[in-house]
Amino acid sequence: MDEKELKNIANLAKLNIEENEISGMLSDFSRIVQYVDEIKNLDTSKVGDDEIYEQIFYELRKDLSENSLKREDLAKIAPSYENGYVVVPKVIET
Amino acid sequence: MKELIYLTYSEIKNKLNDGSLSSEDLVTAYLQRINSVDSKLKAFLEINQEKILKQAKESDVRRKSGKLLSEFDGIPIGIKDNICITGEITSCSSKILENFVSPYDATVITKLKEKGFVLFPRLNMDEFAMGSSTENSAFQTSKNPFDSERIPGGSSGGSAAAVAASMLPVSLGSDTGGSIRQPASLCGIWGLKPTYGRVSRFGLIAYASSLDQIGPFSNDMQGIIDLMEILSGIDSKDQTTAKVEHFESKSVSDIDWKGKKIGIMKTEDFNFSPDVNVRYLEILKSLEAKGAQLVPLDFSLLKYAIPVYYLIATAECSSNLSRFDGIRYGLRKETSGKLDDLYSESRSAGFGKEVKRRILLGTFSLSSGYYDAYYGKAQKARVLIRKQYAEFFKSVDVILQPTSPTTAFKVGEKTKDPIQMYQADILTTSVNLAGVPAISCPAGVDQNGLPIGIQLTTSHFDESKLLGFAKSLSNLDLCKVSLPKEIK
Repeated sequence: MDEKELKNIANLAKLNIEENEISGMLSDFSRIVQYVDEIKNLDTSKVGDDEIYEQIFYELRKDLSENSLKREDLAKIAPSYENGYVVVPKVIET
Repeated sequence: MKELIYLTYSEIKNKLNDGSLSSEDLVTAYLQRINSVDSKLKAFLEINQEKILKQAKESDVRRKSGKLLSEFDGIPIGIKDNICITGEITSCSSKILENFVSPYDATVITKLKEKGFVLFPRLNMDEFAMGSSTENSAFQTSKNPFDSERIPGGSSGGSAAAVAASMLPVSLGSDTGGSIRQPASLCGIWGLKPTYGRVSRFGLIAYASSLDQIGPFSNDMQGIIDLMEILSGIDSKDQTTAKVEHFESKSVSDIDWKGKKIGIMKTEDFNFSPDVNVRYLEILKSLEAKGAQLVPLDFSLLKYAIPVYYLIATAECSSNLSRFDGIRYGLRKETSGKLDDLYSESRSAGFGKEVKRRILLGTFSLSSGYYDAYYGKAQKARVLIRKQYAEFFKSVDVILQPTSPTTAFKVGEKTKDPIQMYQADILTTSVNLAGVPAISCPAGVDQNGLPIGIQLTTSHFDESKLLGFAKSLSNLDLCKVSLPKEIK
């Protein structure tokens, strides 16, 4: 893991890393990755992909509309809200 | 007569129901206790006395008019700050949700309200349930009632400290890798992580969806048993709730140890503190004397549990926490830049160091070029851990281990080294990976008077047996712990 790679991961995660945080973050991150690397020593060759989902007991409910949150309740918790819409910065270049 | 705050959950329930105690008197006593000790312990992020007393008074009115909602009407219960309650701030101890007022109730809250419990919201926690000490809370570090220079454990540290300090008889927490059991152990109380799928996660702000479970803390076993019945059940709002027979408290009875097979671990393979080790061996000896058969199990896979846990949990958290982007709710950092800048700046300002670290690790393990080697491999390792537990339960009735390798550590002792902090959960994470139920029971104290906890584990949906064993274990003199009256 180097600085370029860390910045790429941070960009994917939509997080900014300040210049003064980089070296600390890199050393922590490298240690953690080294630590989880331990699983490479475990033989998982006999585990099939299908077994990963064995314990999941999803049963979807019928696709029917039910009572949901009211718009005015959503307006109360949104940082910026106008005329039934959440307001965001302009995204279209004109 | 015992002071009200020192009553056990069972005594409170009996006194409320025989009419010798009102909910208002009880709640007033707890509020006084909170006012006198919580400035030192910092278990609560906020306490709204008026709202809490109103609930207690309403319960008393129902009692007087013969319209009780249940035998639990009027019992106070604390709520961890990641469980949504309508009209209450639910912050997950994070700046990104500092002012978020929940517009709905979690399913477990709906259930508690239907029974008439008096809710005490906003117990402190590690931010987004990521941590083992509450030191990752963005607002305050909770302290251990047995020694206020030490941590109460985490991530549900506030929920555990509140019960251990006699500020409440019971509370709710959530457990992703040990976040109920480890603080219960460090605070000398009972804490249960039910089987994955037993309790609805609707309204629990997610950390790692395939591992998270809500569960109770209590100052006696009956509180755990009752809350297990109240909280569990199928929920159409959470498709991972399992279609199994509903758990009933009457299905739990004391278990005779004679002839029971107990799975045990070789302690020399793990770095337990001497006092924890000695107490564990004393308990095993005592159970053997009662006729139990000790079966050593091979826990060699356990050394992979924490790496596997961190890869899976962080991958899920990077996905779950992507919803916090400053758009629809939570902190928004106004920026002159583009939409992407608003996302990044809001998230960077709102999340703390450990949360960022875990989001980055999860993003890394899911990213192109690393997925198979990390996340994919961890998923397969998880299957092996699950299979190993299935194998264990072919030959034993219950597994007994220490809950935590040490008793409560000092504030600041492990904050510099994330790996050392992660290892605090070495004995609890594999349980979440396997999805099986486990409880931490008090097991006496070490030389410094700090509580030791013992973890019991059974197979999926076998809570009746698990709680029966826990009840019997708790009757041993070796396991007695007196909760502190004075907070030093």
